[in-house]
Amino acid sequence: MANFRRFRPDDLNKLSKCNLDPLTETYELGFYLQYYAKWPSLFQVAEDQDGNIIGYIMGKVESSPDVYQFSEHYLPWHAHITAVTVAPEARRLGIGRLLTEQLEAGADANNAWFVDLFVRKTNYKAINFYKSMGYSIFRVVKDYYGDHSSDPTKSSEDAYDMRKPMKRDVNKEHIREDGEKFEVEPSDVW
Amino acid sequence: MAYSYGRPALKSSVDVQLQTAFSDGNWNSVVRLADKRAKSLKDPYYEAIKVAAESKLDGAAESGAVLTAIEELAKQKTVPDIDTIELYEWAADDFIGEEIEYADTLGPLRVKWAKANPKSPLAMGCLQSCLEYWDLVSAQQISTALDKAYLNSGDRRYMFWSITLTFLLSISPQCSESSRRVYSLLVLKQLERAAEVTENTPKVEAKDRGLLTEEEVCLYYRVLLAHGNKEDFVRRVKSAGLGALVLLEKGHKLLFWECLDSLSAWGEWDLIFDLCRQALRLGVKGVTAPFFVCDLKVWRIFAAAASKAANPESALEEVQTVLKEFFAIDMKTAQMYKKNLSLALLESTFRLPSIEDPVPEGSGMTPRVVQLGLFLDECFDKLAAFDDVKGYISELTFEEAKALVDKILPKLLDTIPDKPRQVILRSLICKIRYLLTTCPMTLSRQPSVVDGQPQSEAYRCRFCSNLASLPCRHCVKQVITEAASAYKQISADKELIGLIPGLDKDPRQDLALVIATSLLKLSGLRASHSSISGPPLRDVDPELLLQAIFILDTQVRSTPADNGLRLLLVELCLLVGASSYAQQLWIPMDVKRTIQDALSPLFFDRISSLSPGLFQGSRPLTEPLRSYYANSLRNDSPLKIWDAFSAGSYTSILDLSQYDNRLRTSCTLLMTLVEEARATRSFGGKIDIEIADHPLVAHITDDTQLINKTDYGSFPNIEYPHGPQIQDFVRLGPELSNERAHIAFLTEQFADLLAYKPPKDYKPARTSDAAARDRNYALESLTRLNHSLTNFIHHPSTPSLLTGPEMTYYSVVSLLASALLTSLSTARGDPTPKTLSLATSSVRNALSSLRNACFHSASLHMPATLFALTDIHTVAYLRETALVAKHSATFVLAFHERELARDRSGKSALHRDVVSEMKALEAVASKTLAETKNHLQKLKEMLGEGGWLDRLLEWTFGHEGGEAEREGEGYRAAVADIAGGRDTAEEWAGKMLESWRETVKGWLMTRWD
Repeated sequence: MANFRRFRPDDLNKLSKCNLDPLTETYELGFYLQYYAKWPSLFQVAEDQDGNIIGYIMGKVESSPDVYQFSEHYLPWHAHITAVTVAPEARRLGIGRLLTEQLEAGADANNAWFVDLFVRKTNYKAINFYKSMGYSIFRVVKDYYGDHSSDPTKSSEDAYDMRKPMKRDVNKEHIREDGEKFEVEPSDVW
Repeated sequence: MAYSYGRPALKSSVDVQLQTAFSDGNWNSVVRLADKRAKSLKDPYYEAIKVAAESKLDGAAESGAVLTAIEELAKQKTVPDIDTIELYEWAADDFIGEEIEYADTLGPLRVKWAKANPKSPLAMGCLQSCLEYWDLVSAQQISTALDKAYLNSGDRRYMFWSITLTFLLSISPQCSESSRRVYSLLVLKQLERAAEVTENTPKVEAKDRGLLTEEEVCLYYRVLLAHGNKEDFVRRVKSAGLGALVLLEKGHKLLFWECLDSLSAWGEWDLIFDLCRQALRLGVKGVTAPFFVCDLKVWRIFAAAASKAANPESALEEVQTVLKEFFAIDMKTAQMYKKNLSLALLESTFRLPSIEDPVPEGSGMTPRVVQLGLFLDECFDKLAAFDDVKGYISELTFEEAKALVDKILPKLLDTIPDKPRQVILRSLICKIRYLLTTCPMTLSRQPSVVDGQPQSEAYRCRFCSNLASLPCRHCVKQVITEAASAYKQISADKELIGLIPGLDKDPRQDLALVIATSLLKLSGLRASHSSISGPPLRDVDPELLLQAIFILDTQVRSTPADNGLRLLLVELCLLVGASSYAQQLWIPMDVKRTIQDALSPLFFDRISSLSPGLFQGSRPLTEPLRSYYANSLRNDSPLKIWDAFSAGSYTSILDLSQYDNRLRTSCTLLMTLVEEARATRSFGGKIDIEIADHPLVAHITDDTQLINKTDYGSFPNIEYPHGPQIQDFVRLGPELSNERAHIAFLTEQFADLLAYKPPKDYKPARTSDAAARDRNYALESLTRLNHSLTNFIHHPSTPSLLTGPEMTYYSVVSLLASALLTSLSTARGDPTPKTLSLATSSVRNALSSLRNACFHSASLHMPATLFALTDIHTVAYLRETALVAKHSATFVLAFHERELARDRSGKSALHRDVVSEMKALEAVASKTLAETKNHLQKLKEMLGEGGWLDRLLEWTFGHEGGEAEREGEGYRAAVADIAGGRDTAEEWAGKMLESWRETVKGWLMTRWD
């Protein structure tokens, strides 16, 4: 039913199964192509037998700009999950997990300290999913999202910055147990 | 660099006053200050600042000075100043590609500077700039200079930039055929040398000029594929240093996948078999992660290779042995891989050579059917179960299919204890049963005469033994009855309804799909790939068609997130002319940004011929699409190409370049501009730019192959996979194609020519010279358009790529281009060529045939009003054809009048016969337009009358107690049963009616003169 492989630009013509789903954001062309140009091995797709894309993950490896090296919020060399999505018809088959594992393998290959991601504080399903994969909350980013997913009276929503240590972080220096207590502003994250 | 976002920095030696004026964009001050400094300091850099600043002033002379400056700089033999180049490049940005070519001017200047200063960090900036203007020749020269300068630096990018650019040149139209050949030899040689270094060096280091990273190795294979030979490729795939398995062992899958594609295209099945076996075993042995290559594609190609082996039984046995090893891996495998393994088992069973029937004759319980049963037992409740088995079921023999339907599936149903899973299976069975009605193996050929009686059908259905064509109507009705019964059962069971939210999908969505698709088939709707067949709905039973739409509409309202059903409904609404309702259904899918190129044709294709009124709004209908292309194709270079270069992503560079080419030649891009131009013309709006001059399509010539990439992936297809798919049935006419896009593009150019009016302030000094120039321009344009249109229209495949009305319209445009050419080029004293009267009479005939199609043709089944409402597309092309004929005649007559007014001798005026032909044509066209408008006016009046809801519901469900009681028509009652009450039907009918009213109203707002 599915193949896992590296993204290629022609896949953008086969995204409908994922991107017609209202939970999946569609970006500008340059956004997808930037990831493919800079981090092709961290842009992986799952395709069905007809070549339709039924899941994808986009990620990158980077560190904070040097100018922030002495900031407490400085991020060392790490991988970041920018987007991960699975088409409704392909859910509950473990595709999201497999894609995430592939990105983690890429992070290790790039000698990253950890993998991180942002998730809405109220997206319990996603939070539990990432926790089951070994991610933990590192900090809370106040008002990170400019809208609220479940409360239309609110104009913003907090994000959890979740992390999973990679092989390089032998001593688990880049994660913390009580991340829910550490609050930062959106301007503190890159 | 491409200065879209900012201006270059001035040299730090420039004084603060000038720096400030420059950064503030105070160009008059910059010009004044720079001029002063240039005179006092005698530094030519200040002259360059002045010229650059002048380019930002309004006057054409000042702004063009930079072009002269660039040309002069390019002529100098000395190495130019890099800051001056930066300034000029920024200043000339708007002129590049228009007034000057980067590759002829700034590119070589960059090369000259970079070659003289290869170790400067700015040399890389020169490379980046050339790439951003997509000047590959200059970029390649700079990269070669950089490679030489950094030969032993350990930074491998310089070497591979040079190689990649040499490869891009070897396949680029930017250089001649002979140069391409030289570049192809060069790049192959460079990479072969690097490959040898890798093969012969125990451990390749960064400083070695071998192939080290996955990207470098994959680049080598891409080049080998393009310019090498098969033997070298195969040898390398098997090699110990650079073979496909070597990278796989390191965790890189890309090369393995690409090799499988190439090898299967060459039919290297033995090698494929060996590679797949070894690759899969790497997982079993723990060299790679267990399921690293456990993709369905790999299993399929492995099984295909085994089936082509000298001893297929033994090879397939080996496939199954490897499979068993995977099944035996004791670990928590993802469902996905478990399913892949089960499918692989199915695949290997289906690839077994057909053997003498080992089962009782006719029982059909072959290993293939048994394996299908096992797979379904395991996976029937997965959403993709039907898509997983569809291909295999269509491969079955009839006996096998019958065994599946009569034995396996009922038995499976009996074993399911819980209700929700039971209804899931029932809906899957309905889908399978429908699929089988579309499979040719369910029919047997019938003698044309039996017992002296000619037979009405050429086939007999092997399931029900009735005479049949594909699909068997009797079986389809049976499927509807079964699906409707299951649907009703679910809806009536409150407990079940309560459990549905816990399922992946409401089974009624699939049942509604089966019912609607079956109704469409019974209605007589045929796949659209021929222009000969006339209006698509002429032979369609409207009752069944409308029922199908109603069933889908009801389901979409109940489960709005089902995009598959929604897309089907959008297409059907467009097909029956309810365009504004189709738009209401389309909008919630939020097709925006990147997915527009692939998905927009599903709604926008032909939309101006259906409902130009939709273009009337504060924001033009196709504006998001146009903006998307304008943003994505703003630069000559592929988006993000420099990112790929700087990251060393060589395969990304090649793919980005290829994708960019495809996007620039997208049929959807052409569709966007054509639909917008047509809608603008319809309302007499101002065309901002003639279509041929539009920057997005200025590069397109007749030889450009335009590419259709419409994404039908979300359509719920339960059709036979090797026949027409559901989108081919519900779409109004053939899909986008190279030929149609070109013809439409040329036709719009013809419309632009007819509509051209010189600017009001254009007062030529010598009117006779200007008139001669205008005439020559018109003749040249007409010659070109006539030639191109004739070529495309007479291509054998073209009729099958257009609707009937499109074919007529485009043929008329081609004839008119020829008639106008003759009209303008025939001297008054010469006899008029017969081709003129032949062309005009053909145009009149075409108008007559379209008029007949609109005003006098009738459907076998459809009430006249409904037929008229559902065939607006033909009316649109009647209007377009009449308008283009009228405008052509007006164009010629206006030319004649102008010449008479200018030259009183009358020598330059047109031939008498030409004038009379054109007057006659104009009269016919005007009369047709008046009739067409009248036709629409009548439709509008009819739609304004009362009783329409009842009438539409009657068309949909027939007379109460009438149709449903016909013998063998019990399925109609079953459909009516699940269709919901009168209120639901009235709500739907109201929307359809409102949409038709809006369509007709929109047409009456268009121009008719």
